[in-house]
Amino acid sequence: MRRALLAAALLAFGCGAADEPAAPAADAGDGRLLVYTVNEPLAYFARRIGGDAVDVRFPAPPDVDPALWSPPPETVAAYQEADVILRNGAGYAAWIARATLPADALVDTSAGFADRLLPVEGAVTHQHGPAGEHSHAGTAFTTWLDPTLAVQQARAVAEAIAAQQPERASELAANLAALEADLLELDARLAKAALVLAGRPLLFSHPVYQYLQHRYGLNARSLHWEPDETPDTKAWRELEAVLAEHPARLLLWEAEPLPEARTRLEKLGLRSVVFDPGSRRPATGDWLSVMQANVERLESALLRER
Amino acid sequence: MSGPLYLASRYLRHHWGKTAILVGSITLIVFLPAGLRVLVGQSADALTARADATPLLVGARGSALELALASLYFEGEPPEPTTWAQVDRLGATGLARAIPLHLGFRAREHPIVGTTLAYLDFRGLRVAAGRRMAVLGECLLGAAAARDLGLGPGDSLVSSPETVFDLAGVYPLKMQVVGVLAPAHTPDDRAVFVDMKTAWILQGLGHGHQDLTAPGASRAVLAREGDRVTANASLVQYNEITPENAGSFHFHGDLSGYPISAVVAVPPDEKSRALLRGRFEAPDETQQVLRPRQVIDELLATVFAVQSYVVAAIATVAAGTLATAGLVFLLSARLRRREIDTMVKIGAARSFVAGVLAAEVIVVLLLGAALAAGLTGLASRFGADAIRTFLVS
Repeated sequence: MRRALLAAALLAFGCGAADEPAAPAADAGDGRLLVYTVNEPLAYFARRIGGDAVDVRFPAPPDVDPALWSPPPETVAAYQEADVILRNGAGYAAWIARATLPADALVDTSAGFADRLLPVEGAVTHQHGPAGEHSHAGTAFTTWLDPTLAVQQARAVAEAIAAQQPERASELAANLAALEADLLELDARLAKAALVLAGRPLLFSHPVYQYLQHRYGLNARSLHWEPDETPDTKAWRELEAVLAEHPARLLLWEAEPLPEARTRLEKLGLRSVVFDPGSRRPATGDWLSVMQANVERLESALLRER
Repeated sequence: MSGPLYLASRYLRHHWGKTAILVGSITLIVFLPAGLRVLVGQSADALTARADATPLLVGARGSALELALASLYFEGEPPEPTTWAQVDRLGATGLARAIPLHLGFRAREHPIVGTTLAYLDFRGLRVAAGRRMAVLGECLLGAAAARDLGLGPGDSLVSSPETVFDLAGVYPLKMQVVGVLAPAHTPDDRAVFVDMKTAWILQGLGHGHQDLTAPGASRAVLAREGDRVTANASLVQYNEITPENAGSFHFHGDLSGYPISAVVAVPPDEKSRALLRGRFEAPDETQQVLRPRQVIDELLATVFAVQSYVVAAIATVAAGTLATAGLVFLLSARLRRREIDTMVKIGAARSFVAGVLAAEVIVVLLLGAALAAGLTGLASRFGADAIRTFLVS
């Protein structure tokens, strides 16, 4: 009887249905594959591999760190229209966890090396309410600074594009091979620089170089200095304390530091070298040229050290 | 108008009370089975169309009917929860597209359906105003929900509290309406769509709160030991997601263990459908996979069985009513003996008199049938809405 009553009620609720319309086709725009990315390295990989048949978009403003950027809902809505959304993974671009994006389009480019991700130290564990104890610990996310990981990310990009454009498989493979060669050349040059460093102490202005450090076994420590800010007295005191234990001669910056900081560092015997992680859209050139310039600056600083 | 018909109509008009009762009785006995058949048929078509458009449903083992009704029509109790791991499991098979559904919460009388964008594409739901949900805390209204609630893009909507007297329970969430769907004439019209993660926040599984390491949160800190902080109940948790506090919202633990109500599985072909069903047939399987059409057909078989009993009862009543109406006409003819004799004495033929009496019966029957046809037409147009309104209220 209950079943019959339920059925009667549902019959009333179910009334008025029309035939289900077909799902709308993906918005292809000009017919090219639409790819959105969360940082410049992935945008560069997608452009190199996909070529002109792929419309690559990375909408973060150039003056904002894409890792910390939170796009407005309208921009998220633009991401929703993409055929492929390239994520860096490793907790990069935390806004993705709060956004509604098509799961079919999302590609985690670091999923293939989840076991090689590096944890961030110093996360706070807290407890409130019935949910119990939890931590906001994360992983280091500038994965591409290890070129061998960048190669794996590039392969994930190639796979994602090939899945959408299988007819271009051989062309995509050739483009990927060329990109891999460039990345491995970077790797070889960085390995050589690390050999020159030979375990000597090194400083990073910010804890974003974990994968570079890990890949080349660098004896490095990280500060929390911003290139566009003048370090205060406390920061200088902390630096002196660090130098007492870790007598570095080189300090790698994410961007050009303020001249007064550079001058004062030189007085302490610390040479400033810009090593841009390349996560933002460069004003000139492309991501590879940014990375090559990084290596050149490092090589030249090491030459001067000799 | 011919003589017998004219006299019959004058008689029926003069005795309007008796005529109205007879016409009303005829109308009811014709309308009840016809209207019932139309309503049931129409509703059955709607139910089966929805079921046909949903290839497979996956959910925790339990009542198949509850799983189908909740997932297809957002009605009844939500089924036994399963977990997000089933979405991953289905995706990993490569045999079907997996679309999760999170059910059970409401905004006033409208069901809040947590899902992904794939659901909107799968059902062919088109945005008529605004846009689809893009970030946490946003919702998209079905056409009927927007109309009933009087809301549109830019407005806000508060979920109904689930645990009014439970201080540590789930609190309402103020959601931003960012879009309204075009009418689909399906249960989707009454729904409020949110992202899965917003649904989990509604359930209290995700939350946003003050930064415990910030100086302003010190009063909420019970204990701080190294990297470990314990907060008290005064810790401010947000019940609205704004651009300012969105960054503080987070989920703990492995999302694959988070609850969902069901998964709509959309295999590309029959072979994949069969293979997928086979994957869920192990004896120790904790999940069930069902074909909604099969469940709805079983439900409709029950409905049609009940309908046939109801129609049989109505037929019995109809026979009684017709017999009574016949008796009324016979008694009426006897009571009108003097009137009939007068008609004969002033020259009316017996056949003419019989024509007048027959015309009266025919007019009453035709009027009753016409009214029943009109009511059946109205039932097919508005009946479902009327019953729905009655049941909801």
